[in-house]
Amino acid sequence: MTVSVAGTGWGTAAAVADPARPRRSGPLGGAVRWLLRTVALTVPVFLFATFLTFLLGAVSGLSPAGLLLGDSATPADVARVRADLGLDRPVLVQYVDWLSHVLRGDLGSSWLNGVSVSSQIGDRLAISLSVAGFALVIAFVAGTLLGIGAAVWRGRLFDRAVTAFCSVVSALPPFVVAVALIVVFSVLVPLVPSAGYVPFSQDPGMWLALITLPAIALSLDAVADIARQLRTGLVSAYQENYVLGAVVRGFSPRRVLLVHVLRNGAGPALSVLGLRIPILVGGAVVTESIFGMSGFGRFAADGALRGDVPVVQGALVVAIVLVLVANLVVDTLLLRLRPAARRRT
Amino acid sequence: MLRPLFASRSGTISAVVLVVVAVLAAVGPWLAPHDPLLQDPRAILAGPSAGHWLGTDNVGRDVLSRLLAGSTLSLVAALEAVAVGLVLGVVPALLSVRLGRVFEWFSLRLMEAFVTLPFLVFAVAMTALLGNGLQQAMLAVGILISPGFYRVTRAAALPVATAQYVEAAVLAGASPWTVLHRHVWPKVVPAVAVATASLLGASLVIVSSLTFLGIGITPPTPTWGGMLATDLQYLFQRPFGPFVPAALIVATVWACNGIADALRDAPGRPAPRKVTAHVG
Repeated sequence: MTVSVAGTGWGTAAAVADPARPRRSGPLGGAVRWLLRTVALTVPVFLFATFLTFLLGAVSGLSPAGLLLGDSATPADVARVRADLGLDRPVLVQYVDWLSHVLRGDLGSSWLNGVSVSSQIGDRLAISLSVAGFALVIAFVAGTLLGIGAAVWRGRLFDRAVTAFCSVVSALPPFVVAVALIVVFSVLVPLVPSAGYVPFSQDPGMWLALITLPAIALSLDAVADIARQLRTGLVSAYQENYVLGAVVRGFSPRRVLLVHVLRNGAGPALSVLGLRIPILVGGAVVTESIFGMSGFGRFAADGALRGDVPVVQGALVVAIVLVLVANLVVDTLLLRLRPAARRRT
Repeated sequence: MLRPLFASRSGTISAVVLVVVAVLAAVGPWLAPHDPLLQDPRAILAGPSAGHWLGTDNVGRDVLSRLLAGSTLSLVAALEAVAVGLVLGVVPALLSVRLGRVFEWFSLRLMEAFVTLPFLVFAVAMTALLGNGLQQAMLAVGILISPGFYRVTRAAALPVATAQYVEAAVLAGASPWTVLHRHVWPKVVPAVAVATASLLGASLVIVSSLTFLGIGITPPTPTWGGMLATDLQYLFQRPFGPFVPAALIVATVWACNGIADALRDAPGRPAPRKVTAHVG
């Protein structure tokens, strides 16, 4: 028997009635507190993540001296180049120096061709953001529809089909999906070209055709995850007394779903959406290589293989910022959607 | 420990699939009909035949032999990554429960930072910059999956650490080791077992993604991901070439997920939280 009287239900109650914090505050006080909390949580994570990124370059032992001078360089030459670039200073000093440039938008320049990393990433970001953004839209729309459908018709055929779909899809790596999509839609049934990218401004139709397959490949896993979380959240919300109350009062099923169930049951799915964003951003590296797009993921991978440290660091910093901003947006949405989420963290 | 696994049908199937793949990986090199690296210029991109059951690839290497050799490498790589992640996740999690607020704050923020990192890009960058070898790849993947272990272990250990019976044990003079061994460990192990199964699947996906990109284990050494990448280039000659390596990856990952689900749904156990595998 594992019944513990002290452990049931009191953990959450203690979190709610925190005496150090005023339970109610005005809208302005709430906003300020939200801002402070966000800053207190986001800034350390940003510093840690960028420091890890920076450390990667420092630990690798790579230096532009080796790349610039070639194999015939004498140790004295190497030491001179390293000193010129400030690479002989302590790591922490270098990090602060690097970070101060990063904060001003200067990501340094490539060791190989000397071109500014920020401008190179700027050129490629549109490609990656098109795919990741479209994938996010697919994940959100399809995941929401499947999740709501499964919860509304719980126990029926649709619900079982969604569960089966989620179980299969969660075992499918994005690159396997990508290969399968290419085999089906480019080789067997030639509907769309298998590789390449055209900017939106040039040919919107072609742009959409080219980003569709990579976006589907990238989003499928997220669709399954969101659908599953949403179903779980909604089904448990349907069992709440206030839903029963709403039904008894004679509200239409649509109103019960939209006003009562969705608002209270969508929280976990939304947090999953936030957790999925690093994966969508990071997945670019594989999908871009499969679909022959020169986005920033591929830029980072090529840079890494060539030992071009500033390129890798720059790409990672941009990705980290994207993820943090997206998480902020999701957190804010979560707070607006469900005031109870404020008590959770 | 293993009984709940066979309580459900999908758990049983998953276990069987995983055992078959593991046996193939273990004895594959002796079963292989050909040398996985031997090129046969007379049979390039050939279809299935008596000599080559699954055909040959673009330089005439036997696909079946390469798959068997690749299974060993892919599985061993994923297992090593999980071992690294297990150590890097479980130990700090147990310490964070015990060592006080400063360590707790730092380890939580560090794990959040790991989660924030764009997973695959970081794995690629780390492996390539540290020398592009199997060991580097495993270290990178292990570090990146460690937050999964950390979160699960901490969630299981935290209620125990503040429970009254543990307080009573400490007051009665139990050493930290006894508390860990007698009280914390039994609660943590089932949760970690679930996490291990699902993160094994996750690291298999990452290892395959890395080798697909030619990172970690570089060609001509056969791996599932690497074979898929080669097959992709000859899609128009062998449209069904990618099917077998892809099916192997999917079946193994599905089996890992199935085992994780079966262990989690085991009756009589507190349900540990689901680990979301952060794979891109």
